[in-house]
Amino acid sequence: MGHVQRVFEAAGIPTVGINIAAFAHVPARMGVSRALITDHPMGRPLGAPGDAVRQRDVVAAALELLTSTAGQTIVSFPHPYRTAAAHPSA
Amino acid sequence: MTTPESESPLTLKGFADSFFYGSRSNLDFKFLADLADTETADFFEGLLRELGRTLNDGDAARLLDHARSWQRRAYGAHLDSKAAFAYDDVPFSILATPLAETRVALVTSSGHFVAGDDPKPFGVGQMTQAEAEARIGEFIRAEPTLSRIPVDTPADQLRVRHGGYPIDAASIDHNVTLPLRAMRELQHDGIIGELAADAYSFVGATSQLKLRERVAPLWADELHAAQVDAVLLVPV
Repeated sequence: MGHVQRVFEAAGIPTVGINIAAFAHVPARMGVSRALITDHPMGRPLGAPGDAVRQRDVVAAALELLTSTAGQTIVSFPHPYRTAAAHPSA
Repeated sequence: MTTPESESPLTLKGFADSFFYGSRSNLDFKFLADLADTETADFFEGLLRELGRTLNDGDAARLLDHARSWQRRAYGAHLDSKAAFAYDDVPFSILATPLAETRVALVTSSGHFVAGDDPKPFGVGQMTQAEAEARIGEFIRAEPTLSRIPVDTPADQLRVRHGGYPIDAASIDHNVTLPLRAMRELQHDGIIGELAADAYSFVGATSQLKLRERVAPLWADELHAAQVDAVLLVPV
């Protein structure tokens, strides 16, 4: 996906990616424009199944990075992984 | 990729390797094949210690921590050294409009598609997840196919198949790798101006050179034609 991000940016389309912590080193290495790093496990980059609140919060935080004009912008999402079962209000 | 265990005595290395597309294939823990024997021992020793504690209080949070911390450790330390692609430059475009006036498209490498629109990898219709995992070596040499997913597609019409990552969470709730619900909500609330009519998904385990040189530029053309202003990417 790093290549997709680079190609889109070069074509004039601003992008932001959501990467999990296991691959936190990839965005900088591949020279992508904007990335939000979540401390979520592989296969659940937006959050746990059923955790609609977390999924929305992650997407909103990533979209906010689209407004960055400062060159490569890599930010960590500040909240640890959780399951929907442990957060019934989610 | 792994030595058939039936033909030789089981070793710790053979056991660890079997989680990587072998007899114990498990995409959550395929990184075990990249660990040194001492690390594999540490992983299981720690797992059983935390499991024992969980028997006392039922608090599984420590198991989540164990899985995540070992994924970070394994991929950070081991896969990075194999990385074929690194770039010094950063292609960067600036958003021309405020976010609340921007048309945003979602592009994910999750392997989702709409029922009845199977991308049929290698000409195979209704390929199972197990077959996709077994053919991962072919996927990473082939050109990816882009699936177009209308953003109002009902959840029960979505399918997911991807030989490179554990799809069980995405099978329960597509939003963990294809966040259509969150995007629709953010559009409804005016955070983004508009959600593009189609989301896009492909299998990210694919030929990186074909993706970079041929396919992604075509996708950029398609996004321009759809008057997309910005893209949210979900790599898996």
